Amino acid sequence: MSTNDQILAQIQSSKGLCVSPTWLNNFLASSPNILAPVLTKTAIFRVLASDFRESLSTNPTSILPVDISNPTFRERRLQGPIPVQVLDIEDIGSSLWSQVEAIERVERGEAIRGREIVRTISVGEDQEAVENSWTQGATGNSNGTANANANANASGSGGSGPHRLILQDAAGKKAVGIEMQRIEGVTLEKLSIGAKLMLRGATVARGIILLDPGCTTLLGGRIDSLDRSWKEGRKARLLRRIDAMGDA
Amino acid sequence: MARKILCVAEKPAIARAVATHLSGGSFQTHSIRGNQYVKNYEFDFNFGGPWGNCSVTMTSVIGHLTGLDFDRQYKGWMSCPPGALFEAPVQEDVDKDKLPIAENIQNQARYSKALFIWTDCDREGEHIGSEVRNQAKKGNARIEVKRAKFSNTERAHVLQAARGPVNLDEYQANAVAARIELDLRIGAAFTRLQTLQLQAVAEILKEKIISYGSCQFPTLGFVVDRYLRVKNFKPETFWGIKVMLQREGKKVNFLWKRVHLFDRVAVIMMLERCLIAKEANVVKVVQKPKSKWRPLPLTTVDLQMMGSRFLRIDSQTIMKVAEALYTKGYISYPRTETDQFDKAIDLKKLVEKQFPDNSWGQYARELIDGKFRTPRWGRNNDKAHPPIHPVAWVSPNQLNANEKKVYEFVTRRFLACCSDDAKGQGTDIEIQYGEEFFHANGLIVLERNYLDVYVYDKWESSQELPTFERGETFEPTEANIFEGKTTAPNYLTEPELIGLMDANGIGTDATMAEHIAKIKDREYVVTNKRGSGRTSVEELIPTRLGIALVEGYDNVVSGLPNSISLSKPFLRKEMELRMLEICAGTKTRQDVVQQSLDMYREVFIHTQRRIDMLKTACRKYLVDDATS
Repeated sequence: MSTNDQILAQIQSSKGLCVSPTWLNNFLASSPNILAPVLTKTAIFRVLASDFRESLSTNPTSILPVDISNPTFRERRLQGPIPVQVLDIEDIGSSLWSQVEAIERVERGEAIRGREIVRTISVGEDQEAVENSWTQGATGNSNGTANANANANASGSGGSGPHRLILQDAAGKKAVGIEMQRIEGVTLEKLSIGAKLMLRGATVARGIILLDPGCTTLLGGRIDSLDRSWKEGRKARLLRRIDAMGDA
Repeated sequence: MARKILCVAEKPAIARAVATHLSGGSFQTHSIRGNQYVKNYEFDFNFGGPWGNCSVTMTSVIGHLTGLDFDRQYKGWMSCPPGALFEAPVQEDVDKDKLPIAENIQNQARYSKALFIWTDCDREGEHIGSEVRNQAKKGNARIEVKRAKFSNTERAHVLQAARGPVNLDEYQANAVAARIELDLRIGAAFTRLQTLQLQAVAEILKEKIISYGSCQFPTLGFVVDRYLRVKNFKPETFWGIKVMLQREGKKVNFLWKRVHLFDRVAVIMMLERCLIAKEANVVKVVQKPKSKWRPLPLTTVDLQMMGSRFLRIDSQTIMKVAEALYTKGYISYPRTETDQFDKAIDLKKLVEKQFPDNSWGQYARELIDGKFRTPRWGRNNDKAHPPIHPVAWVSPNQLNANEKKVYEFVTRRFLACCSDDAKGQGTDIEIQYGEEFFHANGLIVLERNYLDVYVYDKWESSQELPTFERGETFEPTEANIFEGKTTAPNYLTEPELIGLMDANGIGTDATMAEHIAKIKDREYVVTNKRGSGRTSVEELIPTRLGIALVEGYDNVVSGLPNSISLSKPFLRKEMELRMLEICAGTKTRQDVVQQSLDMYREVFIHTQRRIDMLKTACRKYLVDDATS
């Protein structure tokens, strides 16, 4: 078996992802200096950071049905496994306005602990380092991630869920998923845009994929560019939706 | 040689109360020259131990003797740039109207072997004690100085304090001295800066002094913050599922575990899946004893919060009334953070004292006849004072209306602490319907216990639930979607504000009420009545000036890394923490003053540089908006 085939097989067996040989060739060509022992690991990391539409090969059983969003179907099942990436996450258990207020508290460097307002920005801390910690986290375990999470949790933005996700398969088909039961790692703070999920045997009701820990495996990852613009634009989007409600 | 001991209390009423107890009621009263309130009481008392029988002069001060101020050349508003006040020399002088009192102490000290300080046992009292000592030493450099440790003016307690004096706590006195200096410098610098700069901005500020205080401003900040949250609030629609079952002639409403969601389509889909399932499954039936806990022993913050909620008296008035009750010897010292009753206190004896009361005397009797329980043990102990409790019974017709209310509250609370929890039987039923979970809860109150005396708490039986068995299934009578709208928070009330100040380290339990009174006084905040009758609440609403100041200071630091607005509690909290370090002996007064001044000086420089932010905010609210 060639190195390429070996890597493809390893990714397939560890993550269930069917990586496109073209994408893998490009990856190997662009990273000639990576040592063999970490090659597969690095490839997996890159796949999770990639856009599935470019990195996966598609076959009819690993993509969403074309009419998935059709609301006339009361219930049907997706055999899968179907790898998807997250394009949007929303907390439908909290009001939009309470989410805006939470964002504004973070902007002011404050968090709420009970009745106490806590300052979260510590003097001299390098915000850049925290921002980039995820990338570093791929090669070594970084403390930065832990910090960032601690801050995010302390911000008390509810994060109660359930969450409504917009998912996209390797063919580019989009669908709405709702977290019917708590899934570890699915929170506004922890789940990045472009994060990857694997669906196995999920139920679809009225065009909505019902997500629960039984049918959903969180593979992790993110698409940097999407994630950044999503975060930057989140408050404005929430405000726009609030305004739109007022007009309705 | 007859030994003479000079005793000095913080207020005339305490001096009189202590003199009465020590002398057994027979003492001579002498007026002092130049002050009509302070008296000298003379009598003999046997202190026991090394002191033995002594002749005693018991007198008092009236609060602080001295004040700190800038040297004369800095007193004029135009005498120096406001920023110079961070370093300008200051001096401590006896207040002009207190000179006769200071003189009296000097004179009396001259003939005394020892000075016993009877100021209130808290930080402020420790500092006043140090002022008294300084005056006494002026009259008699060799006078021995002791301090009586007491927390109420009940007779046995006072006698015990007289016979076991301790030393003055210098650390605490130093902490107060540091706070006084910081308040003076920071307060004067910012007050002058903002007053001089803002007076010209709007007509109505022309003659106004716009005062700044490092506690006042964060207090105002809380009020403005809530006000803006109310103003900016946007209502949103939510949807939920409610399930009802008719059984045994009763209607049982099941509540959705998700409460409600903000996505209509999702809720419709979830309801449909319930309906498809048809049958609901009872997954949990729990019968369990429930109890409502009796309250914790009473602290000052609790007295102010509960008091303003239940008695409808503002916190400052409550504290004044409580002071009066303490001075008259009816309740223990009302400034305390402690919510644990020391094991040594004979609580039953205190309960017995309430026997004569018409309203709760019978209840007190029942406690002694077997229902007495040791109070719950809270988490706070200031190591100085016990929780607030009645020390003697007083007939209601000896009290004015407010005193009656506060005494009643303190007493009912105390009796409640010594009672058993209220007990009941609770039933929790949980059902799974489709993929969704719902629950119904029932409660039957079996024993009211403390609730009988603590009329401020409510705990009532709910409607009785029909019988359910785990594992049984049923088809709900109704399952529907309901719709609702989020509502804006209410404006801040005083109890909430006290809670926020407490949690954020603004002021001490002793001073919070004053800060709130101050921002009303300065016209930064007004009160407004919400609702009517028994359910009415006083709300705090900022004035245009109040909003302008907060917005102005927020804008001054906006965009500056690591700069904190004066409307936020963080700077003051740091300062407060450093005071504690002085008390613990880990930092000196000088260190703390310098560090805190540096912190505020930085904000001062930003404020000076970006003063236009403040002016713009004032113009926006006081000139442009004033006409709208």
